[in-house]
Amino acid sequence: MSSEVKPNKVSRRNLLKASAIAGVGMAIGASGFGAVTAMSDVLGKPSNKDKSSKSTIPFYGEHQAGIATPQQGFAYIAAFNLLTDQKQEVIKLFKNWSSLGYALSIGQVNKETASNDFLPPTDTGESEDLSPSNITITFGLGSSFFLKDGRDRYGIASKKPKHLQDIPAMPRDALKDPFIGGDICIQVCADDQQIAFHGLRNLMKSANGIAEIKWIQSGFLSSPDGKTPRNLFGFKDGTANAQPRDESAMNRIVWAGADEPDWMTGGSYMAVRKIQMMLESWDRSSLKSQEDTFGRNKKTGAAYGKAKEHDSVDLNQLPRDSHTRAAKETGQELFRRAYSYTEGMEPTTGNINAGLMFISYQKDPDTQFLPMLKKLSQMDRLNEYTKHIGSAMFAIPGGIRKGEYLAQNLLEG
Amino acid sequence: MNVNKNKTIIAALLSTSLLIPALSGCSSNSEKTNGGEKSPETSKKFKENDVKAISSSLKTSLNSFTKALNKEDNENIKKTAKNLNTEWLALENNIRESHPLLYTEIEKYLLPLYAGASQDNPDKATLKSLASSLDESLTKLSNAKEAEESNSATLNQAVEQYKKYVNEEASKLVISTQGFTDAVKAKDIQKAKALYAESRAHYERIEPIAESFGDLDPKIDAREGDVDPSEWGGFHRIEKALWNNESLGAMIPVADQLNKDVLSLQEKVKAVQLRPTEVVAGAMELINEAAVSKITGEEERYSRIDLMDLGANVEGSQEIYKNILPALNEKDKELAAKLDAKFKELTQTLNSHKKNGQYVLYTELTQEQIRELSQKLGVLSELMGQTAKILQ
Repeated sequence: MSSEVKPNKVSRRNLLKASAIAGVGMAIGASGFGAVTAMSDVLGKPSNKDKSSKSTIPFYGEHQAGIATPQQGFAYIAAFNLLTDQKQEVIKLFKNWSSLGYALSIGQVNKETASNDFLPPTDTGESEDLSPSNITITFGLGSSFFLKDGRDRYGIASKKPKHLQDIPAMPRDALKDPFIGGDICIQVCADDQQIAFHGLRNLMKSANGIAEIKWIQSGFLSSPDGKTPRNLFGFKDGTANAQPRDESAMNRIVWAGADEPDWMTGGSYMAVRKIQMMLESWDRSSLKSQEDTFGRNKKTGAAYGKAKEHDSVDLNQLPRDSHTRAAKETGQELFRRAYSYTEGMEPTTGNINAGLMFISYQKDPDTQFLPMLKKLSQMDRLNEYTKHIGSAMFAIPGGIRKGEYLAQNLLEG
Repeated sequence: MNVNKNKTIIAALLSTSLLIPALSGCSSNSEKTNGGEKSPETSKKFKENDVKAISSSLKTSLNSFTKALNKEDNENIKKTAKNLNTEWLALENNIRESHPLLYTEIEKYLLPLYAGASQDNPDKATLKSLASSLDESLTKLSNAKEAEESNSATLNQAVEQYKKYVNEEASKLVISTQGFTDAVKAKDIQKAKALYAESRAHYERIEPIAESFGDLDPKIDAREGDVDPSEWGGFHRIEKALWNNESLGAMIPVADQLNKDVLSLQEKVKAVQLRPTEVVAGAMELINEAAVSKITGEEERYSRIDLMDLGANVEGSQEIYKNILPALNEKDKELAAKLDAKFKELTQTLNSHKKNGQYVLYTELTQEQIRELSQKLGVLSELMGQTAKILQ
């Protein structure tokens, strides 16, 4: 490579980042270097964030990190099933995960060093030399954690939180195994994909024999500072989200109510839907049709009849079956933390396999989430271009305090 | 680097590292530079710095070889490989005593490298990959501590017992393969199929040992596509003929060669010097072998007896576990108990896939059953990785 550097040159790092996005591989093949450059411009510059050695998010606290945390660029979300019937084993696992979670949050690798070179290294090693990149690790418990096939394996069924249940079947559901539910969920987010992956990988490794992986989903997102990120349909996604710093909004929308079991204090509910998006048919539909589908201007994000993204929405100006109107008409708020995903291509059609890993946090899914999901499943015009292929709900225990471990009050109280 | 300079370095190394201790041990033959006659006391005096010097000198020779390789200079490839090998022969005994595991590792790359480079038209891609692996091993050697492993009595006993097992399996392999190839030559398809499975089991139980003799494993156990079609022989070639109803007449030379190769394997197994590190690593390799290439159903693609291979890998690994148990109990009783429980669980699951004492065909397993086996192998493999604790 020549030493002359062009101003718009893509660094290897940005190129790697860009290749996490669908179609870049093809873009390189089709239109050469310029296409990649354009893609890297779209991606913005999140890579500068993770250079800072101070890029850490506290692991301990009133709430688990990774909910009211400004959304990082990359995520790995995984569900596990427990293999044991013994509560003590679960406690041991949660203790391990809590101490490992803290170590990862400050950029330390597993501190136990192997006592000789014939042993496998305790840490997998790929985070060495990288900054913590604002990694957060968020743990959730599925309804099968409390009651599995009618069995109360750990004697905790009576402490199941009020609103935890499997998401009921919805019209048009096309759920595919294994992407349904799970005893435990871990959401790992970071500004560096390798750091996020390293986190999940080592948490998985330390669960050996006690919990086995059920599904894994990776995701990415690029949000220019302070601006709403866009989904793969090119529309701003999450305009209505409350600011994570707005405590009263978070108390109203996200954090569990006082009527929940004590281990849920400071906790929440996480709803997950894996939504496949038919990118090709979307891209072939007219701009007008696309905007009618959302009820918003594609470029500015402003609702129909308004000038700016955050102007209040006048529902009467929006097409009846538009996404925004259908959602707003429920009168409910969610706190969204979705990630886009791409998974190569569909071999039967040659179409890109991509979509949205929808994640929302809410205080009461029965009131906030399920009615909205039902309504959208029935009448959202977006359904022409989407398919719900995965579904899960998890209770998020309250934050972990130093010296404590995940869901301690649930397992010991 | 030219040959003369190379020789100088070897001479310098030998004079500082080997001869001085040798002289102090009352050996007056200063011309004899072969380290093979050194006493154990001598090797203990063999310090880290000396190992570093040896590593660095070997690296320099390897570097000359790589340069020749990059230039595709066949003449120099031969010459530099020969120099490297000569240098190694002069030094290897010291490393064998002080760093047995690394010794094995270096030999693993150097021997095929030397053999490959001596051919008239060497396979340069393979040589490059060998050279790069060898370079890594030499780096490890340069960083290695003096005492690589303990040799406690319990460990040595474990190795002795395991060696007995390996020899027994090798001899059963020879006998069953003779029966198998006789049936093939007699064109008795039913008998051949039955004896195929039996012979395979004996091989799979000791696979890591068999694999350590680089040239024999591909001859005996290569699957279709693993080697050049014109060279493909061994068990799986005959397997294909048997299950695809090919004419067995063409299999007669393949059968004869297979017999020769398992006999030669048995001879090598008898002579092999096993070390605790290799035995412990072997237990892990067997489980990984099962978890990587048996569980996917890629090993026995015509006979579909993959579960039998998998079971044999697990049995071979469990045998090692039993032999190292006393040593393991000294270090980590909890780990021993866990391994015991997990072996039992896996064996139970495997037994549930038997009908009339025989494993069902791989194709009869459901996705869920395969996943369950895979998950159990994973747990066992992770635990088995921890058994290297006994080596400290």
